[in-house]
Amino acid sequence: MSADNEPLIIGFLCNWCSYAGADMAGTSRQAYPANIRIMRVPCSGRVDPLLIVKCFEEGADAVLVAGCHPGDCHYSEGNYYSRRRFALLRELLDFMGIEKERFRIEWVSASEGKRFAKIVSDFTEDATKLGSRKVS
Amino acid sequence: MGADFTQQIRDKAKELLEKGTVECVIGYETGSDGVSARPAFIHDPAEVDRLVFDNTCSHNLVKYLLNKKGKPTAVVVKGCDSRAVNLLLSEKQIERNQAFIIGVVCPSVVEWGWNKRSEQIQKRCDWCRQHTPVVYDFLVGEPVTEEPPPDFADVAEMEAKTTEERAAFWREQAERCLRCYACRQACPGCYCIDCFVEELDPEWVGIRIAPQENLMWNTIRAFHLGGRCISCNECERVCPVNIPLSLLNRKLEQEVLSLFDYRAGMSDDTIAPLITFRKDDKLGIGE
Amino acid sequence: MSRIGVFICHCGTNIGGVVNVPQVVEAAKRMPLVAYADENKYTCSEVGQASIRDAIKEQRLDRVVIASCSPRMHENTFRRTVATAGLNPYLLEMANLREHCSWVHSDSKDATAKAIDLVRMAVAKVARHESLFPKQVGLTKRALVIGGGITGIQAALDIASAGHEVVLVEKEPSIGGRMAQLDKTFPTLDCSACILTPKMVDVSQHPNITLLTYSEVKEVRGFVGNFEVDILKKAKMVDYVKCTGCGNCWQACPERIPSEFDLGLGRRSVIYIPFAQAVPNKPVIDIANCRYERYLKWKETEEGPEPPQCRICEGVCPTEAIDRSQRDEIVTEKFGAIVVATGFKTFDYSVYGEYGGGRYPDVISSLQLERLMSAAGPTEGEVLRPSDGVHPKNVVFIQCVGSRDDKVGRPYCSKVCCMYTAKHAVMLKEHDPEVQCYVFYIDVRAGGKDFEEFARRAQDETGAVYLRGRVSQIYQEGKKLKVLGEDSLMGRLVEIDADLVVLATGMEPSDNADVIAQTLNISYNTYNFLIEAHPKLRPVETQTDGIFVAGTCVGPRDIPDCVAHGGAAAAKAVVLLSQDSLTTDPLTSFVDPMKCVGCFACKEVCPFNAIEEQITRDGRTISSVNESLCKGCGLCVVACRPGAINLRGFTNQQLLSEVLTLVGR
Repeated sequence: MSADNEPLIIGFLCNWCSYAGADMAGTSRQAYPANIRIMRVPCSGRVDPLLIVKCFEEGADAVLVAGCHPGDCHYSEGNYYSRRRFALLRELLDFMGIEKERFRIEWVSASEGKRFAKIVSDFTEDATKLGSRKVS
Repeated sequence: MGADFTQQIRDKAKELLEKGTVECVIGYETGSDGVSARPAFIHDPAEVDRLVFDNTCSHNLVKYLLNKKGKPTAVVVKGCDSRAVNLLLSEKQIERNQAFIIGVVCPSVVEWGWNKRSEQIQKRCDWCRQHTPVVYDFLVGEPVTEEPPPDFADVAEMEAKTTEERAAFWREQAERCLRCYACRQACPGCYCIDCFVEELDPEWVGIRIAPQENLMWNTIRAFHLGGRCISCNECERVCPVNIPLSLLNRKLEQEVLSLFDYRAGMSDDTIAPLITFRKDDKLGIGE
Repeated sequence: MSRIGVFICHCGTNIGGVVNVPQVVEAAKRMPLVAYADENKYTCSEVGQASIRDAIKEQRLDRVVIASCSPRMHENTFRRTVATAGLNPYLLEMANLREHCSWVHSDSKDATAKAIDLVRMAVAKVARHESLFPKQVGLTKRALVIGGGITGIQAALDIASAGHEVVLVEKEPSIGGRMAQLDKTFPTLDCSACILTPKMVDVSQHPNITLLTYSEVKEVRGFVGNFEVDILKKAKMVDYVKCTGCGNCWQACPERIPSEFDLGLGRRSVIYIPFAQAVPNKPVIDIANCRYERYLKWKETEEGPEPPQCRICEGVCPTEAIDRSQRDEIVTEKFGAIVVATGFKTFDYSVYGEYGGGRYPDVISSLQLERLMSAAGPTEGEVLRPSDGVHPKNVVFIQCVGSRDDKVGRPYCSKVCCMYTAKHAVMLKEHDPEVQCYVFYIDVRAGGKDFEEFARRAQDETGAVYLRGRVSQIYQEGKKLKVLGEDSLMGRLVEIDADLVVLATGMEPSDNADVIAQTLNISYNTYNFLIEAHPKLRPVETQTDGIFVAGTCVGPRDIPDCVAHGGAAAAKAVVLLSQDSLTTDPLTSFVDPMKCVGCFACKEVCPFNAIEEQITRDGRTISSVNESLCKGCGLCVVACRPGAINLRGFTNQQLLSEVLTLVGR
């Protein structure tokens, strides 16, 4: 969906915190742009780097992974692993030519509806400025 | 080096095979061109004179230990190779009491040449910070006590480019990739029975040989080695189309060192950084 | 080939008012493997659910997508709907068109395009769904309670009264814990032993409770409902069947050593009961200090001087109950639930060299003061200075010794010390109307029911002087202890000639709390307090199903909270044990044995210890998932490089197929 310079953002949200936070954005009617497509996962630790790289290689313009705040993971440790994994992956992707700014990792709690809406709005704006991903 | 190292290895191999301590000694012998070393599998003590050690001994022989499970085997390792022993021990792929490690303090190895010995020392030897094997049962050569500090100038040069320039660079490299998987085959850290790249369901990487798929292959292989790569650089040496794989692996090595203060393969009981964590990790995420 | 049914909900105008539902229906009809698509006004209503059931039957659907509100709202509802139509409840996927679409986007065109994408993702994912079946696992209807203090006692009594067998393991020769060492409890000034001992006796007499004192838990195997525990029963050297508790032996024993129960202020014999109301009221022999046991050991080598062949206890025992043939024994028992209530010990005050604890005999801890005040204590209830046995007139209390102090690695507040020091001020006044108490405090924390009133009573009615400040040094001068401190509210230094100094030592977990935690594989923090599953909402559970924690081993708390905690843990255990079998959630991981290389990265990352080893036919040691323990987080899937482990409900195939509907293909 990179036509008309509308970035495609794929979001991976964890069921217990960030997905619930996005639900809260909905119940509080906090509007944000419609570029994001959200996938539900049990934990941010379930998000495989393979999926992230696949998203980018196949043409997504930006990827958001959102999990619970460190210390609050429903499975107690998942976001500690995802934090390490994605810190490293983001470096590697930037090194390969995928701007760091296209890959965002955020911690969103179930009560942070307004914040989630802001994160998505800001991210959409930044992704629009970066332009669509040129895939080989 | 030279004759003395070769003789020590031959003597040790003979002793191990005669006593029955091992069934096989994996070492190097001179190949059919009369110049370049190749891996050798010696089972008979009468054949130990095939073994040599010189500056063409580039191969990481630890890879072959993966096929020797349950069989006591000796293997000749340089400093870089020896870290692979620790890696495989910590990942339960080999048993310490089944492996007799003949460690060699290697000063350097040269680029691959056919029919003539190259004068060009491999890049990896410029970066080497582990001349003395980290694990051994018998040591050939004098241990080196001083090692140079980490030097990632090649990575820094790439980082200095713009993201666009880097994207263009890697797209160009990916155009050449043949998906021969020689890099994976030579790597001791790649031992999966079914590699993700060959999985058809889910098909992570299509079988088409094209930059899009090739980039996915190389990116993920590098990532799977994140915090595990022991910098033997055999992957780059064996690549038939000269893709600078060392850049990818060394970028991750640099990040793993700076983010997690970790070097793979230095001991057999450390936990790789991506399967552990610290609650107080400060990695620039969500802070 | 799958026949997927797609049901788009209007949700009144919540969705339908923004998203062009008929357009989404038309788009859905054209999606791969979709055999039927329709719309509903309110899918969750009776009418809506009935239409889905009918469609499943009439259209021979084998998978269902419901595009409506958030799955966090109605996934369980619709799983039941689908199940009543004869379909496996896990062959359902929902698309969130409300919270994630119509409620946050105002442009109808954008919202509709997004809705179509979300439906497409759900269709692609559900095509890869498989029927999943929760498993039933049997369980042992017995509970183990580790720790025989008030918390463990309460938990054991509650579980036993619910009709389940309980084994209570206590490492000391008697149950009772810290509460047995107290004289009175705040704020009611009840006699501690008087309210505790009836419960201790109940434990010993309850038909469902087996009491194992002088015993320790050594190893725990298994999982919820099916634990196997090795318990070390230390040799008591006394046959409890024959022993009547007459007391001849401990009165006749010639050896005296410092009493642990009296915290070094008194002495006990070597064949002993720790205190008069001990349960069981039968002695054990402290082998390390027994003269005859030393003789027996000497006899093995005959090196050195010969110790006396004592055996006086055997001589005076009317029932020949002393049995020196006993040896430590390990028994293995099965349990369904485990409650950990291992309690606390007090901070070692000698760490504060400036207070002189351990050097000056008249610097004691609050718990030691309890022993002095107790009628059954070493001074028979007379508050006497340890140095010369004189009644103290000036008593100085120092609060927060080993609490609220980063310098000694104890930043936390121990919660009960302000209250028990207030109690001590009140009780000392009752013992001796001429006593003058001084309390050096930082804050006075009196947060419980009637606590503030009690603390005020100590401050206003006993004449106790409360000084807000720290003590810098204590030193002996003649018979007095000079206490140098600060009264920060008045902005001046104070110097008090004390007869007795009482240090309100902080609470920390009992010795080896970390060893117990490791044995059970449960989490503990830097101070060795055990960690509960959620500090607010799950205060007595742990991350490990079937293991519950209660009392001061979790954090500093007072007796009413401990009793409540023990009851709460018991309730949780009873819920577990009242089931005839346990149902597992089927959204668990599973290993493909052909692909696993046995690197056990999965085991390293699993927060629930759900990965076990199995050996394949070709001799490889590989992973296997204990589905009773697996919580379905999926960390193992990402740790596995070859993709040998996958997570039902969120498989690699499902997630990738969702992504591929959005990009490229």
